[in-house]
Amino acid sequence: MRAHVSAVLMAVVLAALSGCAQPHPPAPAGATSPARAHPDFSGFWNLDMKVPRDPQLLAQVAPNTAFLDDTGPVEFPAGEFGGLKLKPAALEAARKWSPYEQLKPENACKPPSIVYAMQGPFPIEIFQSDKLIVMKLEYYDMVRIVFLDGRKPESDYPHSPEGFSSGHWEGDTLVVETTHLEPATITNNGLDHSENVRVLERFKLGADGKTLLSTQEFEDPQVLDNRGVRFIAWSKQPGQHVYPYECDPGFAGNYSPPGEVKSRKK
Amino acid sequence: MARREQQPGIILRLCVSLAMAVGCGGAIAHHSFAVFFDTQSQLRKVTGVVKEFRFTNPHGVVTLAVKQGGHEITWRAETNSPSILRRRGWNAQSLHVGETITVEGWPARDGSNYMRLRAVTRANGEPVGTQPTPLKE
Repeated sequence: MRAHVSAVLMAVVLAALSGCAQPHPPAPAGATSPARAHPDFSGFWNLDMKVPRDPQLLAQVAPNTAFLDDTGPVEFPAGEFGGLKLKPAALEAARKWSPYEQLKPENACKPPSIVYAMQGPFPIEIFQSDKLIVMKLEYYDMVRIVFLDGRKPESDYPHSPEGFSSGHWEGDTLVVETTHLEPATITNNGLDHSENVRVLERFKLGADGKTLLSTQEFEDPQVLDNRGVRFIAWSKQPGQHVYPYECDPGFAGNYSPPGEVKSRKK
Repeated sequence: MARREQQPGIILRLCVSLAMAVGCGGAIAHHSFAVFFDTQSQLRKVTGVVKEFRFTNPHGVVTLAVKQGGHEITWRAETNSPSILRRRGWNAQSLHVGETITVEGWPARDGSNYMRLRAVTRANGEPVGTQPTPLKE
């Protein structure tokens, strides 16, 4: 179902992109169209943990922010949150967290929010125009739309794993702010952000144009006493496309909570 | 649990090391590898006959009939995300029911006949798919 919704959404978005991509009127000599003035992030990008952290991006991170060194396959064990300072209620919830909850059939195919999904070891594919940018994540068939036209979410805009993203260019850097995210995991070990989390991402190309560099800052005063940031980078792989994820909740049947473990021993 | 709280970095570093060696973590979808699989014990190797092969996200699962003494027991091996495995030469027809294979992987912490797959070889020694590229140097 989710893949179907994503496919429909992609079709609508690609139609919009197609409209946006109509040829610009001839520009006067010496002028540059807005779309051409910005770096082109289009293409297939695979997470690449060998890319060095970008000092310029990290220098822009706000004070009181913990650097989470868990990008990619690395995950913090229970009780470790990479320097994030949890409010008492969040800490208590993390202590009570059971990893089996996410392996129930009703949860096995529930996507996390972009806070966790963007740093995962799965590729993304980007479609870009001067009006919006679409990021199709392989992970759980997630599709992000970053509006570049300054629009704001309606008062009743729903919360979702992708949220509402608006972006603008600061030189060659795309700055994206995302709100309206459903509560979901931050570190995959019991720490969840609230629906009031605010995410600020900066994206720019590496010097050779073959790497995409980003910082993902998030703040959630309902859950955290400080802020968090990850450095996430991808390498471009021409000719590839994101595959369908098509999650199967039947996978959850391979797991049983403690106490029911013996049912799996056959 | 207490040991984890005293030495929180060890499991993290171990997972990084595994990711460097074989990309184990690349398999992580939405459930924590370190929570469910014992990365500190030796890899388990089991030979059996394929009874079922599910190649769907978030993880594929191979079910094997394994002879043990005079009995037949069932083992299951959980694969990496199929969308990742496709880029390593796997597909839904990579394993066939009735085929004898050997699976190697990290055993489940709960002691059940369940593992996280690291590698599969056919009866003739041919590996299935390719090994992942190290993620960190």
